[in-house]
Amino acid sequence: MSARSTMTDTMNANESTTINQSQPVAEDAGYDFYFGPAHPGSGNFGVKLRMAGEVVTSARADPGYLHRGFEKLMEYRLPIQNSVLSDRICVLEALNWNLIHAEAVEELMEIEPPERAKYIRVIMAELSRIQSHIIWFGAFCIGTGFETGFKLAFGYRDYILDLFEMITGGRVYPAGYICPGGVRRGFPDGATQKIAQVLDQIGRMVRIEEIEHPALTARTKGVGVLNLEDAIRLGATGPVLRASGLKADVRKDDPYEVYERFDFEVPAREEGDAYARYLVGIEEIRQSARIIRQALQQLPEGEVIAPKLKRIKLATKIPEGDVYIRNEVARGEAGMYMVSDGGDKPYRVKIRGPSFLHMIPVLEHLLTGAQIADVPAIYWSLNVCPADLDR
Amino acid sequence: MGAKEDLEILDKIASEFKIKGEMRRKGRIWLDAPTEGFVDFCKWLKERGFEHLSAISAIDWPGEGMYELAYHLWSYLDKTLITLKVKIDRQNAVMDSVTEVWDGSAQAHEREIHELFGIEFEGNNNLTPLFLEDWEGLPPFRKDFNWREYVGEKYYDRHNERERVYYD
Repeated sequence: MSARSTMTDTMNANESTTINQSQPVAEDAGYDFYFGPAHPGSGNFGVKLRMAGEVVTSARADPGYLHRGFEKLMEYRLPIQNSVLSDRICVLEALNWNLIHAEAVEELMEIEPPERAKYIRVIMAELSRIQSHIIWFGAFCIGTGFETGFKLAFGYRDYILDLFEMITGGRVYPAGYICPGGVRRGFPDGATQKIAQVLDQIGRMVRIEEIEHPALTARTKGVGVLNLEDAIRLGATGPVLRASGLKADVRKDDPYEVYERFDFEVPAREEGDAYARYLVGIEEIRQSARIIRQALQQLPEGEVIAPKLKRIKLATKIPEGDVYIRNEVARGEAGMYMVSDGGDKPYRVKIRGPSFLHMIPVLEHLLTGAQIADVPAIYWSLNVCPADLDR
Repeated sequence: MGAKEDLEILDKIASEFKIKGEMRRKGRIWLDAPTEGFVDFCKWLKERGFEHLSAISAIDWPGEGMYELAYHLWSYLDKTLITLKVKIDRQNAVMDSVTEVWDGSAQAHEREIHELFGIEFEGNNNLTPLFLEDWEGLPPFRKDFNWREYVGEKYYDRHNERERVYYD
């Protein structure tokens, strides 16, 4: 008897005494099954599943284990402090969140960063996206029992972390490298060559990822199908939405920084299953590399921080007003709504993380009716990050 | 989608709903809506193409005795962002739910605001808390909730010599 069925039997036996006290016991009453928060494959997040045999009859997301209250913390801090704080919104793509915060402050203060800074920002944001997609690939592989993919991914990710260390000083957290007004410092000597070398390495990895591994396809094809209508209704964005058939990308539809100057494709697929989401992710790594190569070629000379902010004063007044910034991060659409009442700290900051909707309505919808064995595949195919859900 | 089309949307809204708005830049429309007929206005916007409810933000203005809610809507068709702002009374913080317009996405956003600001949404059938465990105090994102005081009381010991600094 396998470990899983033993567990199921035990839970069935106990159901009337301990697990099911609050709910009335129907004739075909199932049992509750917890995926996370202590499950190694779930991150700091839980899903409470109601089971009937091996089928999930209903799912309820249980977030909150990573709630740090950034929105409130930012009300008490200066933009220069918030810039460092914004790294922490999502561990896996810290630079993208840095960029969103910087853009919000800039739009309120009407500062235009210099050209070179804009290019550096795009390069760093795209490197961060590749690195985040690699983690996605790794987590997706380990969730489906394909361990080779996991080790491959984390090995190649280190090349990009080395780059981050060289450029920003931090491997995972750049400590506010992309700050209001530009970037903290320019590229060190040899950085552009090293970026080009790392992109070649990543290209090699993408070619390995593209091979159809039976270990992966058998667990993901036709699993967790999200049709386009549901995707829009439940607020899916980014790769999840694109894998369901809508070619929508903030970088193309609502360009920020200098994205309109680059030639790149927005991959989309029709199937809407876990495997389609995976394929979209792989193609996005290649497109991001394409953007970085173009940016390196066009990279202009000059300053990297706006002259007005060259000597950053600790307490600069933010003019009264409000702004909503949208960016495309690795997981989908990220937003920041910043309100200022004219003081030196923001009056209110609202952070919109893409995982918020992916992990509550979308996940609950996809898990309902799924097999228990498919739960990790569905969960990880959504490219989730509990950190940007809880904030 | 250009600035001209944005202005057309604004004109249409002004003529049909008597709601005045401004276009701050291309693809960015800001509107101040009244609470009466709010859900009908949202339905009209959704049919007009604003299918994606990006977020709902709540802002607490205790000095003016009101909450402000900002609905950020995106149209995949027009490639335009509308921010719809509506003000509600702080003492009687009740708002009509937009779940019948934006369904699951609206429900999750309203759950969050209900938990962190204490605003009721009439018509939303699931407002269970998301983040806080067994919370009974003031909704923590309100301006009158002093988190420094809360953290001091809850996590630091006034009589411990090393932790006393948090009280001075």
